[in-house]
Amino acid sequence: MAEKEKIFNNGFNGILGNTHSMVLTALLLAAALVLSIIENMLPPLPIAVPGVKFGLSNIAVMYALFFLGYRKAYIIAVLKGLFAAVTRGVIAGVLSLFGGIISVTVMVLLLFIFRERISYLIVSVFGAISHNIGQFIVIILIFEGMNMWAYFPILLISGLIAGIITSTLLKLILPAFKRLI
Amino acid sequence: MDFFKKKDILIIIIILIVGIGFWYTYNNTPNDETVKAELYYYNELVMTIDLSQGIEKTFSIAQKPKVVFHLSEDGKICFIESDCPDKVCINTGEIYIAGQSAACLPNGLVLKIVSDDEDEKFDTIIGN
Repeated sequence: MAEKEKIFNNGFNGILGNTHSMVLTALLLAAALVLSIIENMLPPLPIAVPGVKFGLSNIAVMYALFFLGYRKAYIIAVLKGLFAAVTRGVIAGVLSLFGGIISVTVMVLLLFIFRERISYLIVSVFGAISHNIGQFIVIILIFEGMNMWAYFPILLISGLIAGIITSTLLKLILPAFKRLI
Repeated sequence: MDFFKKKDILIIIIILIVGIGFWYTYNNTPNDETVKAELYYYNELVMTIDLSQGIEKTFSIAQKPKVVFHLSEDGKICFIESDCPDKVCINTGEIYIAGQSAACLPNGLVLKIVSDDEDEKFDTIIGN
């Protein structure tokens, strides 16, 4: 387990104590929730497809994945899903939970397979796309018989754009995050 | 680990091509099934519109006279006027393929295209 942890902890391993990393995880979860609330307050995009959004809260999940280890990223994704279930209803919760877990799993696999050969940008893009695809699968399962395939390319391309935006934002925010530690 | 690598552009282009290719094939698949439009007002079917009549008309329903629909000659239907704040319904544009839908949630209206053959085949779950 320690060996695996090392792979995902790029940099701060050993510096952080248990309490420190727990507090940081809690802060990141709070940041993720606030980001998703802010995102809901933004005016709707002039695109007529439900489900197209930036996924700003993915910034917090990605940060946790890159710098605190995959377990913290899973914790944030799952708690975020539960929070959505409590505040926005069961279906929204299942969508958020499933999308989040699929997204983190894909990012973990990419980091595990490619290690240093992959860039943050691509990890983020695949995370966003797999988040969309996870939600897409849940929608197909829940709303049986709905013809959703027309949305698939839109989800793919919007995931691409969202991934580029969130990873760029993460890069911009990173100096501020580093001062936290 | 770098933030960005040159070969990332290649991956991005591949994703774009897959997306656009998927979109293109979906829209160009021959579609000879007959379709009709169903208009729901708060989960209640209020109107069924035959899309293959080849006539052009503009209409609205009694419950929401401020929301106006337009049916064009080639069997495409859309919202053209609505008093809702976000205009998502109008921005959806023309719909004409079975499975597509346009909704104006502030007014409780859902317009969807269904295939004639698939009638009653599925129970539709409509969440609120």
